[in-house]
Amino acid sequence: MTEIGRLAIVLGWIVALWGIAASVAGALRRDRTLIASGSHAAFAFSAATGIAVAALLDLLVTRDFNVEYVAAYSSSTLPLWYTIAALWGGMKGSLLWWTFILAVCNAIVQVQNRRKNRDQMPWVTATMLAVGAFFLSLLVFVTDPFERLPFTPAEGSDLNPLLQNYWMTIHPPSLYVGYVTTTVPFAFAIAALATGKLGDAWIRTTRRWAIFSWFFLTLGNLFGAAWAYVVLGWGGYWAWDPVENAAFMPWLTATAFLHSVMIQEKKDMLKVWNMVLVILTFALTIFGTFLTRSGVISSVHSFTQSGLGPFFMGFLLVILAVSIGLLVWRLPLLKSRSELESVFSREAAFLLNNLVLVGIAFTVFWGTVFPVLSEWVRGVKITVGPPFFNRVNAPLALVLVFLMGVGPIIAWRRATWRSLRRSFLAPLAAGVVAGAATLLFASGANFYAAVAFSVAAFALATVASEFWRGVRVRREMMGEAPWTALSRLIGKNRRRYGGYIVHVGTAMVFIGIVASSIFKVEVQKSLAVGQSVDVAGYALRYDGIKANEDAHVARTAAVVSVFERRGDELVRVGTVEPEKRFYKKPKQPTTEVSIWSTLGADLYVVLGSYDPETRTAVFQAFLNPLISWMWIGGVVMALGTGICMWPSYAERTATADARVPVGSRAAP
Amino acid sequence: MGAALAALAMAVALLVGRPHAARAADDATQTQIETDLTCQCGCGLTVHACNHLNCSSGIPLKEEIAQQIASGRSRSDILSYFQTKYGEKILSSPTATGFNLAAWTVPFAAIAVGGVIVALALARWRRTTPGAAAESTAAGPAPVTDPALRARLDSALEDFERRS
Repeated sequence: MTEIGRLAIVLGWIVALWGIAASVAGALRRDRTLIASGSHAAFAFSAATGIAVAALLDLLVTRDFNVEYVAAYSSSTLPLWYTIAALWGGMKGSLLWWTFILAVCNAIVQVQNRRKNRDQMPWVTATMLAVGAFFLSLLVFVTDPFERLPFTPAEGSDLNPLLQNYWMTIHPPSLYVGYVTTTVPFAFAIAALATGKLGDAWIRTTRRWAIFSWFFLTLGNLFGAAWAYVVLGWGGYWAWDPVENAAFMPWLTATAFLHSVMIQEKKDMLKVWNMVLVILTFALTIFGTFLTRSGVISSVHSFTQSGLGPFFMGFLLVILAVSIGLLVWRLPLLKSRSELESVFSREAAFLLNNLVLVGIAFTVFWGTVFPVLSEWVRGVKITVGPPFFNRVNAPLALVLVFLMGVGPIIAWRRATWRSLRRSFLAPLAAGVVAGAATLLFASGANFYAAVAFSVAAFALATVASEFWRGVRVRREMMGEAPWTALSRLIGKNRRRYGGYIVHVGTAMVFIGIVASSIFKVEVQKSLAVGQSVDVAGYALRYDGIKANEDAHVARTAAVVSVFERRGDELVRVGTVEPEKRFYKKPKQPTTEVSIWSTLGADLYVVLGSYDPETRTAVFQAFLNPLISWMWIGGVVMALGTGICMWPSYAERTATADARVPVGSRAAP
Repeated sequence: MGAALAALAMAVALLVGRPHAARAADDATQTQIETDLTCQCGCGLTVHACNHLNCSSGIPLKEEIAQQIASGRSRSDILSYFQTKYGEKILSSPTATGFNLAAWTVPFAAIAVGGVIVALALARWRRTTPGAAAESTAAGPAPVTDPALRARLDSALEDFERRS
């Protein structure tokens, strides 16, 4: 099987090189045969990487420990699901997985564009194959996933226990899909620059891909946060680790692009800026991969660290040089209409939104690389940790959420005082009430909490007012029932109202972050069996220890009853069982948290240590208010994005028409 | 506009929390000092957040912090003590002095520069937009100067915007 896998990646690499050469030559010589050959190479590339992935999966599932990758990332007792997840648990496998996703995207792009964008497609094909060829060249020449060992170990080293978690089975694939799909808008941008066809066609073609990519970047970041929350056991979900930052930065620039592209579509403005954002987003995904794999900056998430850093840095520099070179060459053709009637307009609000989003991305970048910069300049190692990122980004996040409220209700072109007053009065009132209520009723609230809840309430109220106005107009004009009016309002303008739903989800995530950061309660106590500890309206009673083990892992779980204070009474509401685990193959202990989750708060319980002789246990308990809003907000964001991407009736009809052969259409 | 935005953000940042070197308040609580210091075990978390089993760095550091607080030292004295003993890398965020000041100021400066560019672009676009500015002399449809007509047009466009 290793021979098949090895052959597949070598053939894939050769095919990719041929595809690049054929596509570029075909485009330059306007040779349809060569262009078609390049397109066929894209399909062959997909098949080759698919075979390589299947081969590595087969080696993992059959537990062939003679293969270095299988021996390093699995074991005979690793459950099947995690054995499959080991495909992306190590550096070599993750590079192959990345290449495969890219190859599949390339094939889909070929199918989608078989009758359109014919001038651009050779350049798109060449760009996507060039990225794929880079990744495969690493696997062919530097780090072979099918490398065999000179001996066969009796047992594998096992997957890192921290990765043996259900979130880890979906977090990396989601993030990789998000990362990889940024290649599609990038490839079309390069194609537009190369061909000089710099109108809106490439924007329209890649609109859904951009949203799709953003969707998976969002999911990837949220799944990663959920993984950190349940696995790392420190009561939080985001530590501003360089690898987390690497995933966050492209999300920020992709968000900026999704907003600024609307200005290009509606007003024919910001053509250069949109190009810059697409290039920047793609470059940041490669920068993130560089961070993960170079070890230049230490990270708790560097499960795939290696010596590949210089290759990624080189590739990043090539991407930037080619992109910027093309952009500068085509600047004369990228003249936009430059008209703005008023600074009180949606266009201006979107520009400010872009400024803040890119500003936050720069802040995160700056904080991430500053330790390296400090070492270069001063020769002194420093740390730029969570307190820095929280302090610098918190005010920017407040401004951003406020603008998220302004954007939907301020008019395109020019807002009048009358319209501003009418649109903003109720949402502003909601914001003021929420801020005042926070200060008055929330125990431990500070200025920041009041402002944060105020802007979140303002943003939610603006969306609510938009829905209310839309439904009211439909009811007046069409005489529809409220729910019919609401569903048709969304159905007939999916992008707009889907976007509003994404805003609701974002505001919910923001509320969850603020509440769980500011109002977090933390208690640590050593308990004997039968003793209790109070945690802000809850009580935990330590009832005893239970243990079990199998060939893979030994578990020691504390059984803890959860009581909720209702008036003067403590009512038992459930049980949590935080664990200590010992994974036998890597001989590594881990802590498994147990969470009592409600809409209002999570009671997050960690078994710190356990003394078998006295049966006393040290518990760490966190009350994280409103944290479930983060996860629910993520679902709402996913729902909104789904609505945005779902094709309208007109688009579906157009697609169906395009599929019907011309000769088979009935005469009018 | 953007520069004002950056200044506003900077002001809020200062209100929310200043770099520890600039703090006057010396409220040396265990939690605060633990948050000001980075665990040296490689987890990347603050001493307060690190809960690694038998962490060879976090647990001794927590004990050392408790000793320092018990000795009655101020927060800045305790942080200086740890900085001298372990090096600057133990602080969880850069000091607001010397080269490190760039860590705190460059992001806001960059946003301010971006803001100035946005403001200049907005101003230039307004100048080239017929009817946008009174001083505009650009070619194009004659600007609507009649206040009554302007109001009617705005009202109709608002209505269109609302219904679209």
